[in-house]
Amino acid sequence: MKPLLLHGHERAITQIKYNREGDLLFSSSKDNKPNVWYSLNGERLGTFNGHQGAVWCIDVDWTTTRFLSGAGDNTLKIWDCETGKPIGNITTNSSVRACNFSYSANMAAYATDKAMGHQCEIFIIDVRNADDSIGQADPILRIPVNGSRVSSLLWGALDETLLTGHENGEITIWDLKTGKKLQTTKEHDNIINDMQMSKDCTMFITASKDHTAKLFDSENLMLLKTYKTERPVNSAAVSPILEHVVLGGGQDAMDVTTTSARVGKFDSRFFHLVFEEEFGRVKGHFGPINSVAFHPDGKSYSSGGEDGYVRIHTFDSSYFEYGFDY
Amino acid sequence: MAKKKVDDRSSQNSDSTRNDGDLSSNDDEPNFSDPEGFIDDITDEELLGDVLKQKPKETDGVESVIVVDGVPQVGPDRLEKLQSVINKIFSKFGSIVNTHYPTNEKGHTKGYIFLEYSSPMHAQEAVKVTNNYKLDKQHTFLVNLFTDFSKYEKIPEVWKPPEAQTYVGQADLHYYLLEPDAYDQFCVVTGQGHSVQIWQNTQPEPAVLQDRNNWTQTYVKWSPLGTFLSTFHKQGVALWGGPSFTQYKRFSHSSVQFIDFSPCEKYIITYSPQGDAHNPEQKRIMIWDIRTGQEKRSFNPEGPSAWPIFRWSHDDKYFARMGNDVLSIYETPSFGLLEKKSLKISGIRDFSWSPTDNVIAYWVAEDKDVPARVTLLEIPNRTEIRNKNLFNVADCKIHWQKSGDYLCVKVDRYSKVRKEKTETKYSGMYFNFEIFHMREKQIPVDSVESKEPIQAFAWEPIGSKFAIIHGESPNISVSFYEVRVGQAPSLLKKLEKRACNHLFWSPNGQFIVLAGLGSNGGGSLEFVDTQDFVIMNTTDHFQASDVEWDPTGRYVVTGVSIWKAKVDTGYWMWSFQGKILKRVNLEKFAQLLWRPRCPTLLDEKQLKEIKKNLKKYYAQFESKDRMRQTKASKELIEKRSALMEKFNAYRHKRIKEWGEQKPRRLELRNGIDTDELDSDSKNVEEEIVEFFIKEEVTVIE
Repeated sequence: MKPLLLHGHERAITQIKYNREGDLLFSSSKDNKPNVWYSLNGERLGTFNGHQGAVWCIDVDWTTTRFLSGAGDNTLKIWDCETGKPIGNITTNSSVRACNFSYSANMAAYATDKAMGHQCEIFIIDVRNADDSIGQADPILRIPVNGSRVSSLLWGALDETLLTGHENGEITIWDLKTGKKLQTTKEHDNIINDMQMSKDCTMFITASKDHTAKLFDSENLMLLKTYKTERPVNSAAVSPILEHVVLGGGQDAMDVTTTSARVGKFDSRFFHLVFEEEFGRVKGHFGPINSVAFHPDGKSYSSGGEDGYVRIHTFDSSYFEYGFDY
Repeated sequence: MAKKKVDDRSSQNSDSTRNDGDLSSNDDEPNFSDPEGFIDDITDEELLGDVLKQKPKETDGVESVIVVDGVPQVGPDRLEKLQSVINKIFSKFGSIVNTHYPTNEKGHTKGYIFLEYSSPMHAQEAVKVTNNYKLDKQHTFLVNLFTDFSKYEKIPEVWKPPEAQTYVGQADLHYYLLEPDAYDQFCVVTGQGHSVQIWQNTQPEPAVLQDRNNWTQTYVKWSPLGTFLSTFHKQGVALWGGPSFTQYKRFSHSSVQFIDFSPCEKYIITYSPQGDAHNPEQKRIMIWDIRTGQEKRSFNPEGPSAWPIFRWSHDDKYFARMGNDVLSIYETPSFGLLEKKSLKISGIRDFSWSPTDNVIAYWVAEDKDVPARVTLLEIPNRTEIRNKNLFNVADCKIHWQKSGDYLCVKVDRYSKVRKEKTETKYSGMYFNFEIFHMREKQIPVDSVESKEPIQAFAWEPIGSKFAIIHGESPNISVSFYEVRVGQAPSLLKKLEKRACNHLFWSPNGQFIVLAGLGSNGGGSLEFVDTQDFVIMNTTDHFQASDVEWDPTGRYVVTGVSIWKAKVDTGYWMWSFQGKILKRVNLEKFAQLLWRPRCPTLLDEKQLKEIKKNLKKYYAQFESKDRMRQTKASKELIEKRSALMEKFNAYRHKRIKEWGEQKPRRLELRNGIDTDELDSDSKNVEEEIVEFFIKEEVTVIE
């Protein structure tokens, strides 16, 4: 089916996310204003105005009441979903590169950049009664990260652990009771651009600049599967209903001006979760894809690209009829 | 080990002596002598072999002694004079540490002397330079190393026949031709020779036969009949062959960059354009005999010239090169000039051997009133079998048909010429194809003219068609002509508006790939059957830089080489109809070469017979293919189901754990079940959303 083209951003999309029910699609971009759309028809519901730098990461809680955004203006903001008004503002030492609500949405985690003489740090904050004072409140936990900076972040199941993906390709699992590393694994050779949980949160998929996406067990970091491409992978997602994964990426944004869209391979690529075989591609973006997400009902997916567009693709019936012989 | 033994024993000894000492007196020296009955079972060599090695030997220093014969015989009164002369001559090579002038009972020297240098190197140098040194009219020095005497003394009186060496069987160099399914081999090079792989194009999946790292330092090349694989190294070229690709021969030629095999694989020419800085005497072109590994002749080419500088006749009998106004033809195996002199051809611009006969075609440029001329020369009798004068010629290209039946000379002609100092500028260009019918009496010549610039020309390897790409972008056309006995070439088909710049005929003719290679070609591919000019497929391999037919004409490989492009390197395999069979994206892919095959041994009649019975074979092959296909898909399905089973086992465990955690999840989300999208039915509100849909009616006139 013809995709819905969401053109509300003026610059490259950095992240897209559905809410739990999938009726809304949130998107952030380097143009400072996160947007929220109806996923059904692509109508824009509103924008979150207030940031003064590129918005790098967003999240929405499971009740779709609060919205989280971290940006290059050294702030993390908590918004009210319904009104689009900011509830809280936390000033940080450097850009906020990753943020996430916990499962219960009582807590949130965010990670700051290693820049301007500041170390990369992970913060865990209490967001139950977020208001103006949250900027002054002490975080529940503050973990300084020595070495490679955090480039992606996820909550483990049951709000007890935190998973971080790092610039050098490492993945670490942290115990939040003690703030200590539980385990580290290095299966990627380059920066981990994105991590997304499977529906039941027992597995997560990583997307790395080393041209691969990998599937891990979210408890013991066991490498389960590897999906290989010939371009950097910026984002990857697992289908909630089928054994499929979708990968988005393409030639580095830096090199794009010198290459045509064909060389860039700015396609969404579909792989079988278990067989690691590619079975389909969706063209459309004319820059690399920075973020992909499956609709929670698994019947459509969206991609956001360096070209500033968000595309909502509804699967044709042939997608559901297609099966692998085994 | 030996030392340890000694230690053990000595400690035992000392223990026993200590006991003795305790009995007698504490101040006494311990007794180190062996107890009675002790037999020393360790030799000195075992104990102090390293020290013994340094023990001076009688023969030490003998290597630095030289014997000079032919020295004047003088009395004691003139001995001092002689010594000073000798010293003057021989101290040039190093310091003389010892001299000996044997004398008879009267004190006269005996005419030979011994000199000892400080090092054997000096002695050798002295021997090399002063042997046969003329001191004066009567006296010539004969200088030898002292060790030479003992060496030559030891030669046995009776000649003993040399021992027969055991015969080491040469591996079968042509085993690959015996492959029952006629699978072809190909060689893949990645990086700067980082990895060289030999593949067999088995169906349905190719299989790797050899995989070696750093097999070559630059690229590889098959010999023309496919017997050898040649690899390039700093020191020279190596040839490999046989079932496990063992080294066959090495040709030492430092910094070699180009090689050229003779068509029958008897000889190989190696070329090192820069030469060797450390060894300036090394010639830049060397010709070798492949079977013996011997150098046959070497040359230093004058000035830059197009490789191959030397061109071989089809039967390895002759090779020729072109110089200024001269064509030099050499013959084998003597490697001398044919009839001891070169042919003087003033204004010769290019030449080419016929691929099947000992005929050379060459052309000479225009000179004032003398027209340009194409000549066919028979070798070795040097008779001109055909001449053709051509007017207004700017340039010529000689194209032989592979079976030697036809020769095409592409002639670039002009209508106006302008001389500007050193440059000659042509304008009003048009183009001619002069077709020589080699197999007909007196070799008739036909001509085809084209007003449009010619991008490419190619003969059908087997058959009588040729294809040309002509026109200027974007109006590029491809025309096919057929040449018939006693007739002028006729246009068969013209394909207009094509995006191609290269022609690749199947080695067996009939099929052709029109390809757009290079930066402006885009990698377009068109597979054409020239029997009825059906375009079987139009497709592309983006940025393709190479197209390679397999030697049987069943497969085509297109490649993007790291030498031409940076990204998306790799090779794709197609059937001759243009059906994609396999895409291999390989980082740093550099080169893919099919292993050539020897020409078929079947004669025309047998070939016809096979073609007649093709239907019979067809059924056989078909069933064979089907069996392989089912086997392969069965393997794939088995592999998949194994993967699935393993994964499901893992998932079952995890889902069970996940199920057990459900109460804790409920607790975290205020008792609301969010495990499934619709599992929380209490908090759902149905909402009806209305959209405005814009309606517009446009009346089409």
